Amino acid sequence: MAAVKAAQTTARRGETVDVLIVGAGPSGSVAAKHLSAAGFSVVTLEQGHWPEANNFPGRKPEFELLTQKQWHPNPNVRDLPRDYPVETSDSDINPLMFAGVGGSTTLYAGHWTPFLPSDFRVRTLDGIADDWPFTYEDLLPHLEEIEHEVGVSGLPGNPAYPPQNAFPTPPLPIGKAGRKAAEGLDKLGWHWWPGTNAIPSIPYNGLNPCVRRGTCMTGCPEGAKSTADITHWPHALKNGARLITGARVREIEVDERGLATGAVYIDENGRERRQNARIVVLCANGIGTPRLLLLSKSSRFPDGLANSSGLVGKRLMMHPFSAVLGVFNDPLDGWQGPFGQLIDSFEFYETDEKRGFMRGAKWGAMPGGGPLGATSFVGSKVFAEGDAKVEDAWGANLHKLVDRRFNHMLIYGIIGEDLPEEANRVVLDSKLTDSDGIPAPKIVYKVSDNSDKMLRFHVARCLEALGASGAIETQVVHQMRDTGWHLLGTCLMGDDPKKSVVDRWGRTHDVPNMYIFDGSAFPTSGGLNPTATIMSVALRQTKHLINERRNAEAA
Amino acid sequence: MTLGESDRAVFAAIADIIVPAWERMPAASAVGVHEDLLDAVLRARPDLGDGVRQAIEHCRDRERSEAVNSLYRENRAAFDAFTLAVTGGYYMADKVRVLLGYPGQESPEYDPYETAQYLTDGILERVTRRGAIYRPTPR
Repeated sequence: MAAVKAAQTTARRGETVDVLIVGAGPSGSVAAKHLSAAGFSVVTLEQGHWPEANNFPGRKPEFELLTQKQWHPNPNVRDLPRDYPVETSDSDINPLMFAGVGGSTTLYAGHWTPFLPSDFRVRTLDGIADDWPFTYEDLLPHLEEIEHEVGVSGLPGNPAYPPQNAFPTPPLPIGKAGRKAAEGLDKLGWHWWPGTNAIPSIPYNGLNPCVRRGTCMTGCPEGAKSTADITHWPHALKNGARLITGARVREIEVDERGLATGAVYIDENGRERRQNARIVVLCANGIGTPRLLLLSKSSRFPDGLANSSGLVGKRLMMHPFSAVLGVFNDPLDGWQGPFGQLIDSFEFYETDEKRGFMRGAKWGAMPGGGPLGATSFVGSKVFAEGDAKVEDAWGANLHKLVDRRFNHMLIYGIIGEDLPEEANRVVLDSKLTDSDGIPAPKIVYKVSDNSDKMLRFHVARCLEALGASGAIETQVVHQMRDTGWHLLGTCLMGDDPKKSVVDRWGRTHDVPNMYIFDGSAFPTSGGLNPTATIMSVALRQTKHLINERRNAEAA
Repeated sequence: MTLGESDRAVFAAIADIIVPAWERMPAASAVGVHEDLLDAVLRARPDLGDGVRQAIEHCRDRERSEAVNSLYRENRAAFDAFTLAVTGGYYMADKVRVLLGYPGQESPEYDPYETAQYLTDGILERVTRRGAIYRPTPR
């Protein structure tokens, strides 16, 4: 594989390819695989590098220490050269991401929760936000195809979803912690289902089966978490697609007709290069894509590329998130994986206006982790409180805490739907730059009153559920800061060019040979993990581009 | 970062305030958090080095309780780096892991085709029997 990678990563001066893709994360990888299979010449520019499974820290004794710095999901904490910094002083939530082949899925937990039918019809059903230009049923065939590329594990028949094809690999064990959570939900008569995860339980499409090591969120050293470097790129490279890593795109260039002609990028030696293309597809995530469009100003596009609507960068949705921890008398093998979701619950997913907010949230039950994690709860030291002397706050108190919690915890993560608001946005920072001197993005984001009420309601219900499961102690972290995993909505998809950035097929209204296939185009965010839908939408848009190739405009 | 014997002695003394001996659990210094474990921690997390060094210098030649408490009040960043270095090393110690029953991030065997308990004891069937809970696409 190394030789194949090397052969496919060389820039060719002056070459014009059919399609240039910016970003080798989940959406860009889907596009690269399918476009190259259809005979398009494809080059993908990725600012990061290929992940090396041997570098992932999960097998190392210092694993827990490394999760808090070098493998932290916040690029501002990692502070690595291939990350770009993000100015967050005006944001309630820190955006999280990872630069590399596979993108942020390198560090995701693999929760596989496709959008529900109501998520595509929020305006029609609830009178707020927007409908999507297509429906759940329109997307379903693409979802089912993607699930077989990804190697999803799960149990069919979840009544939270319409019927669909079975998953390609059997469900992972829910473990003692999942069982404990399920027992509480069962007592209350609330929905739960064994977790569906982008983590195969048997060998599948280049992936090894999950060994339950429980280190999913720092990269899987077993090669058992579905990431596109394993599931998509080997196919794309075999098809002849080329992937240039260490390539940080600075600008999309346009010709006198207003068509995109390719990208200017900085290679990892600091040299400026150009990649010419007939069609450009942006897949740089909900922050990277609008950043690049705003960077690509010209006399023809003075407000940034594809921004005649003024909506580029606006409507950022990041899913405010709360976590609720339960401690139990029984040992729960809390360090064992998967660190995807053991079980999930959609009991309070749909809108009930009597609750005082619109829309809802999904819960995922996860294990408690190792002993160092037990000394804190999602980043906050829980034993160093108030003005107590250090030896009173730590000391025996630390031992008691670990004794009580380690191996006895389960955690509900609550992902609440984030409604779009134009004030929540990505702009270019006037001072901060990345290591190549390119202006960094700045996030302006406030958690809405609706989100706050939603999370508080769901926290209360999670506490009920944990109580029903027999928790002897609980703790809540409301609206955590380092939780901006899901970067959505900043290049709105819609039919009206005055009120949206891309059309229903991901083509920008203003630049007819430029497309956006990532989560930037999402009109709404759902109240769940979006990777399944991001990849399915990318496949839908890619197939349309392939089918319409004879009619597609090109530079 | 090179630490001498006297540096490690200071580190050990103040580490035992953070992690003293308690019931079955040994004190931090008893498992060597100031020795090889500290080296391992700082290799893994070189960003903690400055804080650890500052903590040692702050506490050198001072009464250890007064020193650690003033470190907490006056240099929180160094205190946080120091405590993470102590606890990070402590929970990497083999002896501590055995006492806690933590084997590390292991890979327990399982059979993906085994029929799960939830499929045979009725707990999941009750969910299914309650029926669909999604709102269908409006027509």
